[in-house]
Amino acid sequence: MCMTSRRGWRQPRARRRTLTPQGALAALSIAVLWVGTAKAGDVPGISLRRELDAAALAALIDRDLAGRWDAEGIVPARPADDAEFLRRVSLDIVGKIPSVSEVRAFLDDRGPEKRRRLVERLLDRGAYATHFANAWRELLLPGANNNLETRGLAPPFEAWLKIRFSADTPYDRWVTELLTPVAMTEADANPPARRSTVASPLAFYQFNERKPENLAANTSRVFLGTQVQCAQCHDHPLARWKRREFWALAAFFGSAAPAETRGSSTADEAGENGKTQTPAGPSAPVPGLSIKIPDTEMVVEAKFLDGSSPAWRPGDDPRRELTRWITSRGNPYFARAAVNRIWEHFFGRGLVDPVDDMDESNPPSHPELFDEVARQFVDHGYDFKYLIRAITSSRAYQLTSRTDFGGTDDPSAFARMPLRRMTPEQLYDSLVEATGFRDTTPRQQGAVFGVETGRAAFQAKFADQSARRSEAQTSILQALALMNGTFVADATDLQRGGTLAAVADAPFLDTPARIEALFMASLNRPSEPAEAEQFLAYVQQAGPDGEKAALADVFWALLNSAEFIMNH
Amino acid sequence: MFQYPPLSRRDLMRLSSAGVIAGSMSGWFEALARGAAARPARSRSCILLWMSGGPSQMDTFDLKPGHAHGGTFKEIETRVPGLKISEHLPGLAKQADKLAIVRSMTTKEGDHSRGTYLMRNGYLPQGPVRYPTLGSLVSKELGRPEAEIPNFVSIAPYRFFAPAAFSAGFLGPQFDPLLVGDGVGGGEEEGDRYALKVADLAAPADVSRATVDQRLGLLGSLNDRFISAHDTANSLGHRIAYERAVMLMRSASGSAFNLDEESSEARDAYGRNRFGQGCLLARRLVERGVPFVEVTLSGVDGNNALGWDTHVDNFEMVRKLSQALDAAWSRLMIELAERGLLDTTTIVWMGEFGRTPKINPSGGRDHFPQAWSTVLAGGGVQGGQAVGRTSPDGEQVEDRPVQVGDLLATIVSALKIDPATQNISNVGRPIKVVDPSANPIAEVLS
Repeated sequence: MCMTSRRGWRQPRARRRTLTPQGALAALSIAVLWVGTAKAGDVPGISLRRELDAAALAALIDRDLAGRWDAEGIVPARPADDAEFLRRVSLDIVGKIPSVSEVRAFLDDRGPEKRRRLVERLLDRGAYATHFANAWRELLLPGANNNLETRGLAPPFEAWLKIRFSADTPYDRWVTELLTPVAMTEADANPPARRSTVASPLAFYQFNERKPENLAANTSRVFLGTQVQCAQCHDHPLARWKRREFWALAAFFGSAAPAETRGSSTADEAGENGKTQTPAGPSAPVPGLSIKIPDTEMVVEAKFLDGSSPAWRPGDDPRRELTRWITSRGNPYFARAAVNRIWEHFFGRGLVDPVDDMDESNPPSHPELFDEVARQFVDHGYDFKYLIRAITSSRAYQLTSRTDFGGTDDPSAFARMPLRRMTPEQLYDSLVEATGFRDTTPRQQGAVFGVETGRAAFQAKFADQSARRSEAQTSILQALALMNGTFVADATDLQRGGTLAAVADAPFLDTPARIEALFMASLNRPSEPAEAEQFLAYVQQAGPDGEKAALADVFWALLNSAEFIMNH
Repeated sequence: MFQYPPLSRRDLMRLSSAGVIAGSMSGWFEALARGAAARPARSRSCILLWMSGGPSQMDTFDLKPGHAHGGTFKEIETRVPGLKISEHLPGLAKQADKLAIVRSMTTKEGDHSRGTYLMRNGYLPQGPVRYPTLGSLVSKELGRPEAEIPNFVSIAPYRFFAPAAFSAGFLGPQFDPLLVGDGVGGGEEEGDRYALKVADLAAPADVSRATVDQRLGLLGSLNDRFISAHDTANSLGHRIAYERAVMLMRSASGSAFNLDEESSEARDAYGRNRFGQGCLLARRLVERGVPFVEVTLSGVDGNNALGWDTHVDNFEMVRKLSQALDAAWSRLMIELAERGLLDTTTIVWMGEFGRTPKINPSGGRDHFPQAWSTVLAGGGVQGGQAVGRTSPDGEQVEDRPVQVGDLLATIVSALKIDPATQNISNVGRPIKVVDPSANPIAEVLS
């Protein structure tokens, strides 16, 4: 399927500072571990590596990024103020803006380390698991919500992921569970009554049509950050992967196909009955497992991407062998790909950019930092929350997105936070939060095309497939929907609009306080003096009879503003 | 009326470098320099007539009279000696000198959803790349970013089976089509039957014009303040999207969608149905410089779902569909020609696949991607010919097989777009407008 031509070679960025002894050791150990190791879990020395806690990792991030700022004479942007930080970190961790009371409490908090404590509170919320499940579903089943045939796959898959994020299941473990699903866990088989869908990872196989080549391509893209799919049809012109190597990887997934094509009931039906799930069927792995490259006479044996072969033993499940190799500590790509995605989640851009393109021709912007963060991620048990704590407490994450306060337009310097348009999910959940709308549709339902419930309608209308969140744009239809559509119309209706009605009717608020409440509900910050003056004048000129309607106009403008729709 | 401050030259440069604004900037700068509203040089447009469900080539443009597969329709002579088409397309027969009929389409996808994506986006949906639909690609190259009317308008789309085939994909939502008369299924309500409307184009009924103006004033000052402190392509892009949405709501351009401005006779001539009125609207939009307009024919008689999917009662269905098609399409070409626009407007007729030559026991024809027909006409197209040939039974392509990439390369070449133009995809790799292995059909290009 590859009809892309490759970008030209990029020269690796010149080293800006000498390697620290630790960095040198790390680089060396990566090299040593990687060369020719299929199973490196028992390589000695890993436990000797110094572990860093999240604060120490944040300090390391700060040092490395500042090193480049110094070297290039970049003055980083000023720190974000509390309101900016609160809104940003809420959108990034729980997927929606904070409530008015959260804003007030946070701004009034005079205690020590209030930002760190905020992050802990957010990580403890169920919305963290929901938001990350949604983000990883979009990675693994990209665009599933925008296609009739695949829409039904998203809810059980997100439910499955949510259980793992709720339980803080280590990344390597849930990836193993995904790639080698054998039996349902207790939690998957017995969803709480309020959850409408049975949790299942099988959507990953259905989405990829159980084809070895699709499964191999998406597995390596998501979990190794490496796009081998171009090598499906022909040798990749620049990267190291050749067609044979792609199909050697695909061979491991050969056992995913027969169960389906045999028409057996092992996969889907068993899954639906909630008992066992064996998408591979009872595999009879063969030493020397091989696959024939379509439209050729070539037959290739299953091999890992580094060219090594599994040490087959009788009874081995090929995908289990592959998964062991993917998640082994000796495989640097696995941890690096995850770190890069989490980095992108919080910064709008990966340390390797684009995130799916980690190969020799596309070096990281901060190579030593990248190595070290990946290593610490492994040493901390593949714990996402450890990374999140470190990243959100770093100086770079806490810089303002204002372009008039220093920083540089070069996004790879991480010297200013980029503006990112909200995802459809973030926008919908934030509008619900701001307006007090009561969505009675269960989250996992409504994904029926043609029956456009609030959430599904937003997913459809605000779907965005741009390369980067920081480049996502707004369409005319989206602008029309926000200006004139029923959601905002209801939110700015004096009877139906929950937040607006409460604010407009509250007897204990005067007009300035009402305006302030609307700012806090939507932009999550106090108004600036000039804004307060302008909006107060606007509401007052409407007279006592027109005040409520004028407040509706204010709320309408706030909800339609660039500031509202941006994660800034 | 409230107005946003005009974009500065610096804004334009930033937007351009960020890829927000595509195509040639030079025309725009010159226009700004002149400070005049002079119309830019006549640019090219494309009208895609999309036949949802997969039209029967055997009963439209590649008849097999006398063969058991031929069915009940007769062939008629056209204005071009030797070129014959269905008796139910008499209007087109009179203008056959403008048609290039491709009788040797051959594809490999017989599923509505995947076939729709294949024909409209040029690739099969697989892997992580979200390919843009043809209209997004073309309007990105030919459109003017400051145009009052969006550069890609999709009229009466039937997106149910393949919403991604009506999406700008990795180009981003600013290149998505403006949907007119978007309905996901079923017919329309009586009395509103031909309504071709843009969703949310008007403010709610209880919000007055004066209120909307005041709200836009408040919004403008909020955005000005935010954007001056967040001078980035996406914050500017947000303002531009609103600016263009308001233009659409307010300005004279919005009246392009008001078919009541046309005489009753003109509306009758196109046919009083969604497709007919859609083609009339397409002509009005092309007159106003919109570079890509598509009109979907997904049914007649109130049926608005895969009308060409004639598994049952093929001949009666195709006869009715052909009548709607013939009236609207032939009228469209006449009026474009009268206005001097046909030379610069490329018309494409296609669906997701063709239909089986063999007639099934229900008097229907089933999905058939192996050998079928598409038609090109107008700007950049050498009319008066049929390209390629199928076997006497219609089962095989015997001469000049044309793949989807070849067809798309021909369309963009007719529009004077280089098929090798590249866009950066959502996976970070450049992807050409058309698969580089494809070749335009040389004899179709004028």
